[in-house]
Amino acid sequence: MRYDPDAIRALVHRDRIHRSLYLDPEVFDLEMQKIFGATWIYVGHESLVPKPGDFLTTRIGKYPIVLSRHADGKIYVIHNSCGHRGAIVCNEEKGNAQLFRCCYHGWTFKTNGDLDAVAMPRGYGKDFDLTNPALGMGRLPRVGIYRGFVFASLSEKGPSLDEHLGHAKDSIDELCDRAPEGEIDLSGGVHKYLYRGNWKLQLENAVDMYHVPFSHESTVRRSGKQFGRRAGEDSASAISDRGSAAQRWEQRSAWGARSTGHSYNGHQPIAEQLPDDPVFNAYRAMLERKHGAERTKIILTPKRHNTAFYPNMTLQALNQHIRVIVPVTVDRTEVHVYPVMLKGAPGEMNRSFVRHLNVTHSAASLIQTDDLECFRRCQDGLNAQGSDWVWFARGIDTDKQDERGDYVNTGTVEIQQRAQYSAWLRLMSAKG
Amino acid sequence: MLDKPAVVTTTPLGELRTIERFLIHEVQLLDERRFEEWRDLFTEDGAYWVPLEPDQVSPDGRASLFYDDKQMMDIRFERLRHPNIHSQSPPHRTCHVIGNIVIETIDEKLRECSVISNMIMTDYRMRTQRLFSGRVQHRLRQEGDSYKIVLKRVDLINCDDVFELIAVPF
Ligand code: FES
Ligand SMILES: [Fe+2]
Repeated sequence: MRYDPDAIRALVHRDRIHRSLYLDPEVFDLEMQKIFGATWIYVGHESLVPKPGDFLTTRIGKYPIVLSRHADGKIYVIHNSCGHRGAIVCNEEKGNAQLFRCCYHGWTFKTNGDLDAVAMPRGYGKDFDLTNPALGMGRLPRVGIYRGFVFASLSEKGPSLDEHLGHAKDSIDELCDRAPEGEIDLSGGVHKYLYRGNWKLQLENAVDMYHVPFSHESTVRRSGKQFGRRAGEDSASAISDRGSAAQRWEQRSAWGARSTGHSYNGHQPIAEQLPDDPVFNAYRAMLERKHGAERTKIILTPKRHNTAFYPNMTLQALNQHIRVIVPVTVDRTEVHVYPVMLKGAPGEMNRSFVRHLNVTHSAASLIQTDDLECFRRCQDGLNAQGSDWVWFARGIDTDKQDERGDYVNTGTVEIQQRAQYSAWLRLMSAKG
Repeated sequence: MLDKPAVVTTTPLGELRTIERFLIHEVQLLDERRFEEWRDLFTEDGAYWVPLEPDQVSPDGRASLFYDDKQMMDIRFERLRHPNIHSQSPPHRTCHVIGNIVIETIDEKLRECSVISNMIMTDYRMRTQRLFSGRVQHRLRQEGDSYKIVLKRVDLINCDDVFELIAVPF
């Protein structure tokens, strides 16, 4: 193996990483094994499979899986592969089934992945044990759920989901607490896009505050403000690389946990202006009835913009959505973006969340398309034989450790990406 | 007494040739990047909708690839004109073809008709050519000798696909 732990360590420095992380198919294969095959991966949300028999198909990296709600009401994460000769069993993106039936020789499986029946069983001899669990589709060794977010791990051992999420869990809490019923609903459809670039480009970018005035220059109107990003708003935050607008951005918090790789950046300036319209006021009243005025104020005080859960999920609070990163090959990545609806909130409010996400994050959107273009150009440009290094040095001298041991800074620093690459290094250089 | 023939002052609602000319003009505006003129074809309450699911019932509460009212079109096209729009430097070139035009329903009271057509749109940028096709539904309102668009709905055959970035409407 070319990439033994020492070779891996040579690729990642505290302020820079080697461009082969984006280019080398061998690094990609190792990532599939040591990151996507080892740690906790976000695989879906309970609200996508509300009823027994509901299922959806997805992938952990390149490994096909099924997320299903079995007859017992519980969530199962199953390999999407027939126990007989390996065919994909669930061929649709989603559906409802009493049994999963393989197209090839008709074996059937329960919706928890166990073998139900083998077609024409008399053809098998006495020694062939039709109750052998290895003939089922097989379940992933570990599944964990936190407030409806389903994570799974292909590895039997490792930190618990709770340890893995660490303090990034607060971002899930903050989002869910904004729902009057304390839960979110992701069943409002999905935007899916593809870019010709490495998966880590999207993960870095989700928590990158440095790129905004440049990448998204075309979304800034003559007034210096971005177009309205919420219902009823004509304009959003002032975006500029100088003056008071730049200063306000520099005040946002920045956070990265080097142990887990999770990170977030502080809220956008516009998030501080809470809407004052009948729908929002009705919503606020619902929260106040449940939590009281003081707690409601805390819930509605914006704190974070984007949180990136290492390695494959991000959560945004402004145009609220969950983004799932699916690596396809070293230079090809799919991204799935789910609008977040708040359970119990006025229907009109949830509909307007969904509607605005079309504008900001569909494949034909006004914001995400700029990022996609940058990912493509990074992937192409990294082929150049000039410098071997990609730099994440911004703010490195001013990173501080907080009382919980995580790293904090402010503004347009690259602390988030430094956290991502320390997790990368730890996982990729692990023995075994 | 003989009935005098009614004086025809406007082309009758739902006349195929007029509608065909209108639809061809509409997509030509897009191919020529005359986006503001394209926007002006819509009624004040008009909308452009591209669903993300086959047979999607409504844009309400469900994600769509496009769901623009006129105000959103303004913002979209202002951005497409921005000198530093990286995703359109260089821009996509597009070519629309429409056909199989059928007048589905005519509502004399509202002066509206519903028209179904098929479209093919190729776009090209940076050595990549893509092919989109789908069924288009226009709800048209007669105004004088021509029409305005109340709703243009485009159901791509691959609406639930994974897409690379899209800039120009279908
Ligand atoms: S491969 Fe599935 S039944 Fe044979
Ligand atoms: Fe961005």
